[in-house]
Amino acid sequence: MTETLKKFQKYLAAQKLGGAVITDILTINYLTSFTFAGEGDAFLVVTPKKATCYTKDMYLIDIKNKCPFLNFVNSLNISDLVKNLGKQAKKFVFDPYASTYLNGIALYKAGVKEAAKITSLIREVKTKDEIKLIKKACEISSKSFEIFKKQLKAGMTEIEAANLLEGITAKLGGKGFSFDTIMAFGKNTANPHHINSNLKLKKEMPVLIDFGCRYKGYCSDMTRTFWFGKKPSAEFKHYFDAVFEAYTIASKALKAGKSAKEMDSLARNYFEDNFEASKYFIHSLGHNLGLEIHERPILSQRSEEILKENALTTIEPGLYFKNKFGIRYEDTFLITKTGSIKLTK
Amino acid sequence: MAGIDQSKLKNILSALNKNKLDGLVLTDLHDMNYLLGEIFCENEATVLIHKKGLVIVTRPLYENDVKKYFPKAKFIPLEQDQHLEIIKQAKTLKLKAVAFDENKEFFAAAKHYKKAGFKTVSNFINSVRATKTEQELKIMKESAQIAYGAFLYIKKEIKAGMTEKQVALKIEMFMRERGATAMSFIPLVSFGANGANPHHLPDDTKLTKNTAVLLDFGCVYKGYCSDITRCFWFGDKVNPEYQKILDLAILAHDTAAKKAKYGMTGAQIDALARGVIVSAGYGKYFTHRTGHGIGMQDHELADISDLNKNKIGLNYCFSIEPGIYLPGKFGVRHEDCFYMTKKGIKQIK
Repeated sequence: MTETLKKFQKYLAAQKLGGAVITDILTINYLTSFTFAGEGDAFLVVTPKKATCYTKDMYLIDIKNKCPFLNFVNSLNISDLVKNLGKQAKKFVFDPYASTYLNGIALYKAGVKEAAKITSLIREVKTKDEIKLIKKACEISSKSFEIFKKQLKAGMTEIEAANLLEGITAKLGGKGFSFDTIMAFGKNTANPHHINSNLKLKKEMPVLIDFGCRYKGYCSDMTRTFWFGKKPSAEFKHYFDAVFEAYTIASKALKAGKSAKEMDSLARNYFEDNFEASKYFIHSLGHNLGLEIHERPILSQRSEEILKENALTTIEPGLYFKNKFGIRYEDTFLITKTGSIKLTK
Repeated sequence: MAGIDQSKLKNILSALNKNKLDGLVLTDLHDMNYLLGEIFCENEATVLIHKKGLVIVTRPLYENDVKKYFPKAKFIPLEQDQHLEIIKQAKTLKLKAVAFDENKEFFAAAKHYKKAGFKTVSNFINSVRATKTEQELKIMKESAQIAYGAFLYIKKEIKAGMTEKQVALKIEMFMRERGATAMSFIPLVSFGANGANPHHLPDDTKLTKNTAVLLDFGCVYKGYCSDITRCFWFGDKVNPEYQKILDLAILAHDTAAKKAKYGMTGAQIDALARGVIVSAGYGKYFTHRTGHGIGMQDHELADISDLNKNKIGLNYCFSIEPGIYLPGKFGVRHEDCFYMTKKGIKQIK
């Protein structure tokens, strides 16, 4: 039995729910520790006392060996699942934010209730094993960046530099990336979601790198901005210090029990009060992460959520000046009862 | 690559027309990447395609990208409840038959679409994507060349004492150094009896002399996947049974490659390869379908399996990968990717 499944069953019992129907593969893999390749490969019905996996053929042989704690039904037809729920269906829930319309409507019509974002809720607080894997992902990213920085040379294009960084990460044991690496040179740094181009790196340019690797499915995320050369413009230095200070204030304040909104306000107010620059901070302060790169809560003005112990979040303030440059500084943090632990460096 | 691919847009609009639709909602990342290029992160944008243009509802921080790559699109910056805005826009545009994809949209947004009278389609873009444009075929060939090069390289490099993980990493690095940006899937390297499990992931098993080796890998190059499997005996004392089933897998692969014709269904092509293995008495050891569609994702529509009674259309791309797995002993599989032409199937190479 996996730690994660046990935890979820306890949650269902505490909420007095009959059970949950999980149809998204990410959460099914999370709960079973098995690796289904894609959407539609399995369904999982979890009650406080048992868990039943719907899958087929080759998978069935494999998962029966690896997950003997599950029950099995040899079918991938949602109507079979609904039939088996029978009159109990009304005591079950599903996540409308993680179920396709096709699956959702079948469950809904059978009387299964909507429980908004239940899948992301159960994945928010990480187990010890999960934290270990995320630490490893963060270690690999940090080490990769350190090696990369020494090999980055004038004349490389953004695409070449991103390839170089990703190659180093693969060598160090990273398995895939949290998202497409953002490698921005010069003015391109002003676009927070820049798409890598053939622009060549020249001396005396800003460089912004936002990347993260995966380790056994778990994400890391970090951003560094630096001046390539020896003569950073006074303006760059000025705003770099501002971003770094906002990052420092926010990361020092980070701890379980803080609201996502007040975290975002710390950085936003700092920019406004000291530089009248909050309008250049065009995104939110950070986001939780885990098996997905963006998990809730998002540290933003629109959030009404409270940060939890043993969840992971990024802190990533940034300022962006069109046609000039942009600066972002970001690390991944483990949230603790008394503060936080920085996992990337 | 970013920006609208006009030949893909034409294919989508004509498919909409055929289905008597005048609009389509896109939110799935792969669907969007197909038409627009890799711009948006997952769940950050909703796009409405209609006959006269595009509406892009997305987070404000994409403003620069949208204006740069889609200057003609209507851009609506919005963080939340993008689906409600899409419904409003469809009304303003007086669209009569807008569809959403029931296999892609989350129930939470889709129930609003349904209430607004939108129609449902199923894996709509996937169907359009099955037919590759000439430009896509060209990139897929380049991707296949990188993968084949990696096989030639590793065949020379592989040595006794290396672990499966080490070999997998060498393959990955070779492809990355040639421009691959990701692996189609974790490179599969199986030594000996590990190869009898088609799902085996590389571990610390060391290669010893006179062992079966199975390599199955591919890379993502300019957004398109390759996929190749090769098996060989490491050492000079080839196990006769191994040689027999390897020859059989290759024969099954070659038979399908030679005899598959335009107009055949996935099931018919599957039968071509399966027939060879069944008539040699190994049918029950060929435990999977003959192949799968391939393109921007490693698995796409165009299953080569007995369940697929649909015809394989022109320029559909798919793998042919018959295999035989003898539990406790070894497994073999021989795989290349092909595309359908009027004159039969051609290898992507």
